[in-house]
Amino acid sequence: MRRILSIMSYNGSAMVAMIGKDCVAIASDRRFGIQAQTVSMDCKKLFEMGPRLYLGLSGLATDVQTVANRLKFRLNLYTLRENREIKPKTFMSMVANLLYERRFGPYFTEPVIAGLDPKTYAPFICNLDLIGCPMFTEDFVVAGTCTEQLYGMCESLWVPNLEPDDLFETISQALLNAVDRDAVSGWGAVVHIIEKDKITTRTVKARMD
Amino acid sequence: MALPMVDHRIVPAANCQANSQLPEWMKHEELTGTTIMAVEFDGGVIIGADSRTTTGAYIANRVTDKLTKVHDRIYCCRSGSAADTQAVADIVSYQLEFYSVQTGEPPEVKVAANLFKEMCYDYRDQLSAGIIIGGWDKKHGGKVYSIPLGGMISHQPVAIGGSGSTYMYAYVDKTFKEGMTKEQCMEFVANGIALAMVRDGSSGGVIRLACITEEGVERKTILGNELPRFYEG
Repeated sequence: MRRILSIMSYNGSAMVAMIGKDCVAIASDRRFGIQAQTVSMDCKKLFEMGPRLYLGLSGLATDVQTVANRLKFRLNLYTLRENREIKPKTFMSMVANLLYERRFGPYFTEPVIAGLDPKTYAPFICNLDLIGCPMFTEDFVVAGTCTEQLYGMCESLWVPNLEPDDLFETISQALLNAVDRDAVSGWGAVVHIIEKDKITTRTVKARMD
Repeated sequence: MALPMVDHRIVPAANCQANSQLPEWMKHEELTGTTIMAVEFDGGVIIGADSRTTTGAYIANRVTDKLTKVHDRIYCCRSGSAADTQAVADIVSYQLEFYSVQTGEPPEVKVAANLFKEMCYDYRDQLSAGIIIGGWDKKHGGKVYSIPLGGMISHQPVAIGGSGSTYMYAYVDKTFKEGMTKEQCMEFVANGIALAMVRDGSSGGVIRLACITEEGVERKTILGNELPRFYEG
């Protein structure tokens, strides 16, 4: 069966980040596929960039890995030079800069950032487009092949000031039900809840179709 | 003198330049990506399918019924374009009703299969339809016919089709044997379709099964949480 090639949905992915009461959550699906075929169900798309800072990368799988590695390299140099943890907002600018450097031959990946400020522990989430335009919000951000479904789920389920356990339920339901309406994402989900003193990682049991 | 080459492409209305601002999900044809399967046993046939219909990557219907009745004891499993297969099945089911009134008895499965073949072959350039016919008749018992793209017809004791079927070939070759009981066939079909649903993005949802025998048609649905599960690496 012939399919129209679309680069951003060649591998398929779904991710979402939400703000809660003194915490943030970030979640993604776990599928690695090549168009319609699923190759593995344990693909890492969420990367720890600091003790309270997570980066999720959606889009073409090869660019997800390359951007994560190159960003970690720049972040390591920053940390060595500054001798402190990076603030999430500064990290967002670093990501934006890396992506805009490739303005006319971009990386086909759309990042999502979630973290807490190292000093004040203020929650922060944002996402960027593939050429580095940042957008930060006070509620939730989404990325991937099923953004329309995710926006619908998040608008309906999110309320402000959710406690960490409630935030986990909310973000999981938003992701699971959105990917169930997308043929190229899903096959498992992983959720990180970032609080000031701990990060809880849960792998969610999902439909494997 | 070289004549100017003008490339007039015929595109669907949704994809023309005037409609370029339409959202992605309005630009793709609706397809049943699909996994379909049918197997004969002594006394009837078991047919099965997944339940996903996609428009591009969007799942338009996750509880589709791809097992379509064309006569009391004859069903077809549809894969390919949803519109094409629904239209062809409607026409064939009308033709079969007419035929059974004329002859005064239920039609044989091979008659139904050949009616499908006539449509699929004569209109092969316009259609995108892969169909498996499964049914029971008094003269031959349970029979399965496969009509892939292009309109060829072939009788097989077990037939698989759809984009998800590629993930099942080895399982079918290893597991199928002549002389299986009805329950063994049900399990065989359910496992085969479950394996395909895990690996194929265009297949998923629930497994719909139908058992067609002289007594009648028994339909069964295996929901998401009851699906057989295998290694998920």
